Amino acid sequence: MSDTPILETRDLTKQFGALTANDRISFSVSAGEIRGIIGPNGSGKTTFFNSLTGFYQPDGGTVLFDGTDVTGWKPFRIARRGMGRTFQIVSPFKNMTVRQNLKAVHTPDDLDDKEARIDEILEFLEIDHIAENKARGMSGGQQKLLELGRILMLDPSCILLDEPTAGVNPALEKRIMGHIRALNEQGTTFVIIEHDMSVMRAVADSVTVLDQGQNIVEGPFDEVKDDPRVREAYLGRHADDEGVPI
Amino acid sequence: MSAERTDESGQRGLRARVDAFTAREDAWKWTFGAAVVLLALLPLGLNSFWTRIALGALMWVGLAQSWNMIGGYAGYLDFGHGAYFGVGGFVTGIVMVKLSLPFIPGLLLAGVAGAALAYVIGVPTLRLKGSYFAIATWAFAEAMKQLALILGITGGTFGMSLPTAASSFGIPIPGGLSETFFYYVMAALSLGTVLLSYLVLEHSEFGYRVQAVRDDENAAESLGIDTTRVKRQVYVLSCVIAALFGSVYAYHITFIHPNDVLGSLITDQMVIMVLLGGLGTIYGPVVGGLTVFLLSRMSSLFLGSSTIYLPLIGVLIMLVVLFAPSGIVGLLNGQTSRADVKKNVHELADKFDLL
Amino acid sequence: MSELFTQTLINGLLLGGIYVTVGVGFSLVFGVLEVVDFAVGEWVMLGAFAGAVLTAALGTDGLYLVPVVFVLFFVVGFFVQPFLHHVTTGDRPMPLLMGLVFTFGIATFARGAVLTIFGPNTRSITSGATSGAITLSGIGVFPTIRVITAAFGVLSLLVFMYYLYRTKGGMAIRAIAEDRTNARLMGINIRRYQSIAYGAYAGLTATAGIFIGLIYTASPGMGLQYTAFAFFMVVLAGLGYLPGVILSGIVLGVVQSFVAVYVSSQWVFFSLFALIYVVLLVSPAGLLGKGEAAT
Repeated sequence: MSDTPILETRDLTKQFGALTANDRISFSVSAGEIRGIIGPNGSGKTTFFNSLTGFYQPDGGTVLFDGTDVTGWKPFRIARRGMGRTFQIVSPFKNMTVRQNLKAVHTPDDLDDKEARIDEILEFLEIDHIAENKARGMSGGQQKLLELGRILMLDPSCILLDEPTAGVNPALEKRIMGHIRALNEQGTTFVIIEHDMSVMRAVADSVTVLDQGQNIVEGPFDEVKDDPRVREAYLGRHADDEGVPI
Repeated sequence: MSAERTDESGQRGLRARVDAFTAREDAWKWTFGAAVVLLALLPLGLNSFWTRIALGALMWVGLAQSWNMIGGYAGYLDFGHGAYFGVGGFVTGIVMVKLSLPFIPGLLLAGVAGAALAYVIGVPTLRLKGSYFAIATWAFAEAMKQLALILGITGGTFGMSLPTAASSFGIPIPGGLSETFFYYVMAALSLGTVLLSYLVLEHSEFGYRVQAVRDDENAAESLGIDTTRVKRQVYVLSCVIAALFGSVYAYHITFIHPNDVLGSLITDQMVIMVLLGGLGTIYGPVVGGLTVFLLSRMSSLFLGSSTIYLPLIGVLIMLVVLFAPSGIVGLLNGQTSRADVKKNVHELADKFDLL
Repeated sequence: MSELFTQTLINGLLLGGIYVTVGVGFSLVFGVLEVVDFAVGEWVMLGAFAGAVLTAALGTDGLYLVPVVFVLFFVVGFFVQPFLHHVTTGDRPMPLLMGLVFTFGIATFARGAVLTIFGPNTRSITSGATSGAITLSGIGVFPTIRVITAAFGVLSLLVFMYYLYRTKGGMAIRAIAEDRTNARLMGINIRRYQSIAYGAYAGLTATAGIFIGLIYTASPGMGLQYTAFAFFMVVLAGLGYLPGVILSGIVLGVVQSFVAVYVSSQWVFFSLFALIYVVLLVSPAGLLGKGEAAT
């Protein structure tokens, strides 16, 4: 892990009328890290992702990706730079096959053989046997893997995952975690929003906690979970004796 | 390799054979080649009246295909597409009448005008989505019709006549400006449109990007696709084609009026043809175009009334949208099965539990 | 102010009264059924034509047919709604857009059927009210029928508002427009109220049509104009924002009146459509920004 942040925000702010969804969030992730983002519902996590990736125009602050100021860039430009992201609701391109889904993705100009790359990714995710199937009618799990596959076509240096294990059975969850670790070992940075704390604990190098639009604390999961500010953020929810929200 | 498919009853029925054929890599080439040959030879067996009908059918197949590009493949239901047909016609008319130029430059300028207008309109309008895009394009087209009715250069409420002399074409044609001649022009334009659709939208990365925009625009954008540019390119392409057809139509029919060539019925028909045939498929506009066109012509002939095709088209739109939203092609390739339609009808019947 | 100016203004306000009826219904359908009804102008035409045909056949005064037309089209709309609902829900591609396309089909069918059955000619609706006029000294002379129409417009708007805001049924409809899922969870019979809403809309719009037919005439092609008007009102007000529609309906009436008197009527429709287009591009949530977002 190097010290140069691959993804950084400074006082990132996003407002919707009177509601400040992201309130001067400063945040920095090093290359090769797996960073978790947790926080109660409505704390601004998905809004944060949208602001990072250009789907929302920030009202203030900056986003720096790999040293470049990408604040306010259109999403496709940020994607082409190497930052991929998923959405909370999985949505493959339903009328196309799995292979076509991957083919539609923009790939770097220096990629010689797109088909080979597609085959590689299909194999890696173990979905090569359904390559010619239409995406409509695929199981939820297969759709999640396809989504990951599409992002990998971008050859991203950083991947933002929005609740990757939501609604996923334990076997698939394990598989996804395995893929994340494997990719991380090859150098891909991950920023993961999760509600499942066991997943966070298992895979994240450190977590950032958002509450009411603000970055309230950061650090390794086991330290953060005991932080009184975090408990307070989750107040009103049940917590077990160790302070980990159930 | 194509697998042998059997249908539900375990026999190799028609659908199974169709599937087996379309699964072949070179199915397209055979189909297209056969179509070229058939269309080239067809006029030899037809009299002037039927040649005219065939000509009309070809034009509508091409027009439907052009709408299918933006409506079916890109998923942006353009309710003002017919305006470009009219624009093409009027630009050609203006070029030939006011500038005294022959048809060929008229055709080219119609294409250029269509492209320019589509670009100017497309940039702001494609930012709208769904219903708003539909309403905006509809309003734009109606505004264009009103403009043509007011302006002197388009003949106002009187319409515009185009030159009829054979010399107005620009290069000498054997046999003059006969129905057969126009038939071949339309056939060429139509075949070209279908071929272009196939190459650009079904079999290229650009086509996959267009369909990605349709299936999930946000996801497409997040995967590095410049959705703004892709939309604009498809839109301009589809509008240019409509303009070219309008140009040829105007020259053929020699008299155009805003209420005809800029009327909403042009768009209505394009939409129903594609819907009936199958949105976003390559054969959909062909099947739908032929069906609707022949239906409307036949109904005029056999049901006596010259306007009865209107309510018929209305009913067709409603039926297709209600029971077979994937169109005829959807029925043929199994996307909508008999069971689906039955289920559809049942669900609809349930909705009448109102009291 | 000259008498002509005042007269034009009041005529415009009178017209606006009936336009509001059309606009409000149209806006309600968008809110409750989430459908942009391209057939709105055809309901007007159907009402006008029903009036013309029935007065000719029955020999009654057109005004007496108003409640008949209302009930007739309420029933028609009530039973058309399930089809519309079916098209906009369920597992199909682009459901809401399909609803729009379906209404396009209704419009084409209605226009085509009337044209085919009754021919292209314009008809008028006979009524004793069409000949009289009310004179207000110093202000102007106003045809009785326009005053009655405006009175109907205001009355129907008041009744409509009362129904929406003071009755259980109206509350149910508003709940559905606000949040369909929760409305269903509260045990509201969505289907029934959606049918009531669409039936009321069809009935009201057709009734507005018979009044318009009384003021002007009835012709199979008249629908497009009123579809344009409805869109104009609703786009300017912002789709789904009812109070704005009332204002833009009045604006429409006044503008139409003034343009007809002071400017060439040629440019009216071009301006209307161009305005709809421009407003959609520039401020899709309406001029006041209160309508639903366009993306």
